[in-house]
Amino acid sequence: MMKTKIIVVLLAAGALWSVRSAQAHHPFAAEYDVNKPLTLTGTLARMEWVNPHGWIYMDVKQPDGTVRQWTVETSAPGQMSRRGLKKNDFVDGMPLVIKGYQSRKDPTLANGRTLVLADGRSFYIGAVGGPNDGADR
Amino acid sequence: MQTFRHRHAAAAVALMVASLLTGCAAPAPEAPPPGDAPYRPVASIREVMNSVIDPSIDIVWNSVATIIDDGRMTDRAPATDEDWAEVRRHALIVSEAANLLLMPSRPVAPPGTGALAPGIELEPEEIRALIDKNRDGWNFYVQQLQDAMAPALAAIEAKDSQALFDIGEKIDTTCENCHQVFWFPNAVAPPAR
Repeated sequence: MMKTKIIVVLLAAGALWSVRSAQAHHPFAAEYDVNKPLTLTGTLARMEWVNPHGWIYMDVKQPDGTVRQWTVETSAPGQMSRRGLKKNDFVDGMPLVIKGYQSRKDPTLANGRTLVLADGRSFYIGAVGGPNDGADR
Repeated sequence: MQTFRHRHAAAAVALMVASLLTGCAAPAPEAPPPGDAPYRPVASIREVMNSVIDPSIDIVWNSVATIIDDGRMTDRAPATDEDWAEVRRHALIVSEAANLLLMPSRPVAPPGTGALAPGIELEPEEIRALIDKNRDGWNFYVQQLQDAMAPALAAIEAKDSQALFDIGEKIDTTCENCHQVFWFPNAVAPPAR
């Protein structure tokens, strides 16, 4: 019985993941709006260092004082590692600044382009196929 | 009774001789034309991707990860023989499902459906034309997926979670390369405004 429960939980988790994966398999232009660039300033709520794309969840304080949680898609962990960003650089609650582009459909989903850590280090976190905005140079 | 046996034996010999003679004269049976292949595709390529490949490759990808949450960093990897067997099942599904994509008679999308991202993704008939025009290229990209899955299967066999994690990016690259050629050839990186 326990085994069945574990498999059911895994399958359910897989089903949730597959929604985001399907997004990740669309080109940038299908999912994100190049006319909606944004800068998110907030704190790290959760980081998923996973293939094929990482996911950063960050809490962003709104002008009215409420907090909105954003989900930011990144490139593959291997690509970020090759640019010097490691999973050990992420600590729950750390301040972050992310530049990217908003989703066409989801008002709290973004495609990340650059990430600036509290110590001032800046990293390109965009996946292949994003806008030619110079973020990768 | 004996006469009946003799007649029976004579008939059998005559049949054998006749068979040998006609066997020598008749051409070898021809292979069935491609249209008469014994398999019968039920799903479209889109449905095979969404129902077979995507859910399984997600389980392979998500089996190894690091999660930073609740003040701690947690590495996720298959731990038991059962966990590894489960991941292997899904890696095999992806590897073998690639063969489903190679069947030439499989439609691109369900009848009457259009592009999922109109203007960015090609319409099914345009994708069909690209595949038919470049069948070797299509086969090449599909086999690239199988090639990328081989080290994943080896990593699973060796229960090497780091190797499985490392190959994850390569698998995605092979997916993206094929999508770029056949599904989104016009989706160039947009200029920033």
